[in-house]
Amino acid sequence: MRRTLAIFLTSLILWAVLGRLNDALSVARVTLFGGGLFVAYAAFTLPLAEGLGAALLAGALLDAGAPVRFGTHALILGGAATLIFALRERLPHDQAGGRVGIALAANAAIFLALSAAHLGARAAAAGIWPRLGSDLLLSELFVALAAPWFFALQAQTLRYVPRDPDGMF
Amino acid sequence: MLKRFSQARPFATLGIVAAAWFVLPVFAKALLRAGFYEFTAPFPVAASYARDLQYIWSLRLHTNLQLIEAGRDLERLNGFYEYSVQQNTALQSEISNLEEALHLPPLPRYRMETARVAQRDFTGWWQRLVIRKGRNFGITAGSPVIFTGGVVGRVAEVHAFTSVVELVSSPDFRVAALIDGDARPLSFQGGINRPFAPARGSIEFVPLDIAVQASAPRRLVTSGLGGVFPAGLTIGQVTGIDPSTDGLFKTGTVSLDPRLAGLTEVTVLVLPDEGVRSQPLNSPSELRSWDLTP
Repeated sequence: MRRTLAIFLTSLILWAVLGRLNDALSVARVTLFGGGLFVAYAAFTLPLAEGLGAALLAGALLDAGAPVRFGTHALILGGAATLIFALRERLPHDQAGGRVGIALAANAAIFLALSAAHLGARAAAAGIWPRLGSDLLLSELFVALAAPWFFALQAQTLRYVPRDPDGMF
Repeated sequence: MLKRFSQARPFATLGIVAAAWFVLPVFAKALLRAGFYEFTAPFPVAASYARDLQYIWSLRLHTNLQLIEAGRDLERLNGFYEYSVQQNTALQSEISNLEEALHLPPLPRYRMETARVAQRDFTGWWQRLVIRKGRNFGITAGSPVIFTGGVVGRVAEVHAFTSVVELVSSPDFRVAALIDGDARPLSFQGGINRPFAPARGSIEFVPLDIAVQASAPRRLVTSGLGGVFPAGLTIGQVTGIDPSTDGLFKTGTVSLDPRLAGLTEVTVLVLPDEGVRSQPLNSPSELRSWDLTP
């Protein structure tokens, strides 16, 4: 629980940074999305309950300010965290490059899943895909640049938080 | 068998969480949402206060001569606005007299609430602003939001100290509109916002005899029909009209004000409670409670 809250705290910092960046970028009509960063580190380092809890809390954070049914982001981020957890033994999660690659793949998958969920029938409108494509491209660039810093921040934060003695998983 | 269950355990856990979420009562979800929102609201608000402070410090770098020139320009503007206020007062009393003489129901009058923008959120999915006034200033959901260039959007959510505004460029935003100089109403909808380009919207149900060319755009204004927006507010410029597929009407493209992307202050038109009628503006110091009659 304490480690889940510690990871959530770092997610809160990332959420605030992304909010300010997107505010500044609004003049150019582009948006950065960092969903992959919210789930990747917790999913490949923490036990299932803690990693999933952190992803659900980060998703609820995104849900609170979005005009969508509450829980949409939480379930999609939770799904991504579960998938990474299930596959982590087969993924190169102990190398820095591999971790960034996992975060990039997760970010793209979450972005596309959210686009489908948000737009629904409107996704058929071909005109929206150039905008979504440019947002995704810039978001991937942002994730690639920010992932080493954010993972280091999460690792340092977890160093100060002892493991729960009654961890279930 | 045991190994297979072990592989499926993460997904089973997620399934249990999802099932628990779906059966959670609606009021519990609403409470959670409000809790998360209010917990995070101070972050963008604090950042916007820091930005305002930064702006004030940057203004302190101006020389005395620049301040004197700015003061002179403001004096001229104030003179012009005072004249407009007098005209407005005369028009308000004329409207009241006509309403009384013709036994017309009074038109709704708005209280103008100026608010600073705390955060802009312009994704491909939606375009929204967070402003630094909420229930504490009597903002109500659905209220129109304007700026000097015209329509900004509509208040979508009201929270304790902040409100969320759905922008006119948002794909879900719709309002009844008129092409300036024509009395026939049509429908405006926010559009798909291209990257690195000004926002656009579209109009539908344009009569067949209306023609617009990109070299001579026409102003699109609110119609005041079937909605909360007063009539005559600028929405954008109609830059092109094409025949629609059904052949009964035309559709068109609307260029929205590029300043929408960089807004730092907006005005919310709050409809006072039923029976409460605000007084018209008498002096420039009353600007924050000025009435706007649609």
